[in-house]
Amino acid sequence: MKRGFVGILMGNRKFIIGFIIFIVILMGGIIAHQTIPFRYSRTGAFPPGLPPGVKNILGTDSLGRGIDVQLAEAVVNSVQIGLIAALIGTLVGAVIGFTSGYYGGIIDAILRVLMDVFLSIPSLLFLILIASLMRGVTVRGMALIIALFAWAPPARQIRAQVLSLKERAFVDMAKLSGMSEMEIITSELVPHMFQWMSANFVNATLAAILAESGLSILGLGPQNEMTLGMMIYWALSYAAVFRGMWWWWGSTVFTLTSIFISLYLLHLGFDEVINPRIRSKI
Amino acid sequence: MWLYLRYVFGRFAIFIITIFIAITIVFIVPRFVPGDPLFAVTSKLAEMGGSRGSPELVEEYRKLFGLDQPVLTQYLYYLKELSKGNLGYSIANFPATVTELLMRSLPWTIGLLSVATVISWLIGTFIGAISGWGGKESKISKVLVPLALGLYTIPYYILAIILIFLFVYVWGIFPISGGYTPGFPIKFSLPFVLDVIKHSILPALSIILISLGWWFLSMRSMIVLLQGEDYILLAQAKGLSDRRILWRYAFRNALLPQVSGLAISLAHIVGGAIILEKIFAYPGVGWLLYNSITELDFPTIQGGVLVVIIALTAANFILDLIYPLIDPRIKYKRG
Repeated sequence: MKRGFVGILMGNRKFIIGFIIFIVILMGGIIAHQTIPFRYSRTGAFPPGLPPGVKNILGTDSLGRGIDVQLAEAVVNSVQIGLIAALIGTLVGAVIGFTSGYYGGIIDAILRVLMDVFLSIPSLLFLILIASLMRGVTVRGMALIIALFAWAPPARQIRAQVLSLKERAFVDMAKLSGMSEMEIITSELVPHMFQWMSANFVNATLAAILAESGLSILGLGPQNEMTLGMMIYWALSYAAVFRGMWWWWGSTVFTLTSIFISLYLLHLGFDEVINPRIRSKI
Repeated sequence: MWLYLRYVFGRFAIFIITIFIAITIVFIVPRFVPGDPLFAVTSKLAEMGGSRGSPELVEEYRKLFGLDQPVLTQYLYYLKELSKGNLGYSIANFPATVTELLMRSLPWTIGLLSVATVISWLIGTFIGAISGWGGKESKISKVLVPLALGLYTIPYYILAIILIFLFVYVWGIFPISGGYTPGFPIKFSLPFVLDVIKHSILPALSIILISLGWWFLSMRSMIVLLQGEDYILLAQAKGLSDRRILWRYAFRNALLPQVSGLAISLAHIVGGAIILEKIFAYPGVGWLLYNSITELDFPTIQGGVLVVIIALTAANFILDLIYPLIDPRIKYKRG
């Protein structure tokens, strides 16, 4: 009867499908990034505008760069931005939400206002402002900028969780049995919140990749590195859609959409496992 | 009543603090960038060969930012100018002010998004109701639910690229981009209005299709949840026709959350679809921001970002005030 959290997740069809799609894209990106020579991504490596063929599986762009090698680098970088921003956002959010919910009082009042403010400001606009002033961001820099606005949603959720957990009998039991505050937090509360944090993490990754592609399409992405957003930016800049270079924009759009769908499926899977009542809704 | 006032006060405090933080961030961020905050302005002016009244402009900026003063004084000065509605001059479009540029682009964004949002809401709500009433196993649900989930996942700008490929490149039905044919006299005449509509169909379609998924799913789940309610069972027991129960009983009760959702969406249209406008070169706020980014027109970026943030926050605040009045089920107490 005892199946762990991971065990239940592995039995969820949506989670498994999303997980497989995500891993296939990521591993494909990493392997291709390691094996295809980097010089193929330089301007003029091939004749420009080649449709997919034997030598260039995905064709070349208007500057004669291989699409396959660019796409591989873009997948690795975009996922990296998503994961870094989500990790920072979730951890910072967890600490803030936890402090707010567990200690209450004046700390809670201040942190709650801060959360409300960060939840109500449109983050894309601030990201545009910050990114436009930092000329020439790198992939890591981009991840950090996006993380600045990624902590508020997890913080609020963790806070609500802590508030409800705090009132439950097992916490009182732990207090009565003489556990210290730190022990209660690490051994009683954190394991319960771990599920929510992992679900938040998937959501935050999706949001961060979305933010990256949005900023890059506006021309605010890393100029010297390739991300999925930057590939769309270049494809749009060279009017790939109007020139019928479907292999250029098409492969990028397909990859990006697949990543979004896989992360969304992962998110749905988490939701169903954590919140069994949702299952009947859709 | 006392509870409501307390709630209003709390919301108002958040509203003021948010705007204050937004203004402060917009003020501070350029000062974190290494070098003179005017560096971008002066370098841009030098690029343009120092023409177009640049000494006057730099002087205007020294005055606006009070750069010889301590930072705190500069900040107070900035707040003062802001309260007068002075967002400064655009660098790329001097002598136009940022306020003028925003006033020129806002109608395009608001027009496009309000029409698209309402159309999407109407279609999604009705299809959602019919599909939800049919139950989980009905044929339309089996087709529409996965489709709606798919649409809901895709960002609207990706759909926009696919629509451009199909309707412009493959079939050549619609114009490539812009809000109207260049050189067309901008006045309120039938040919101009038709031209504007023709240019707005593709951007509108991207928004309609993407948000349709959400409206459909939320209405559907609402109707599904209502099916077991006592008053629906009673209506069925009375022998009312199925159609009458759906539209007169279930639909009406499921509508309230949908209407709140529509209000939220309409309140947020000032923020617009920045990336979408970039892709279609649609002359709204997003296009203005995109052009300001590529032309390093910082006053316009700052002003545009600030105005949109203030408008969105104000809209949120107004919604927060109206909510408890429309839907008594919402409690004043938060958290």
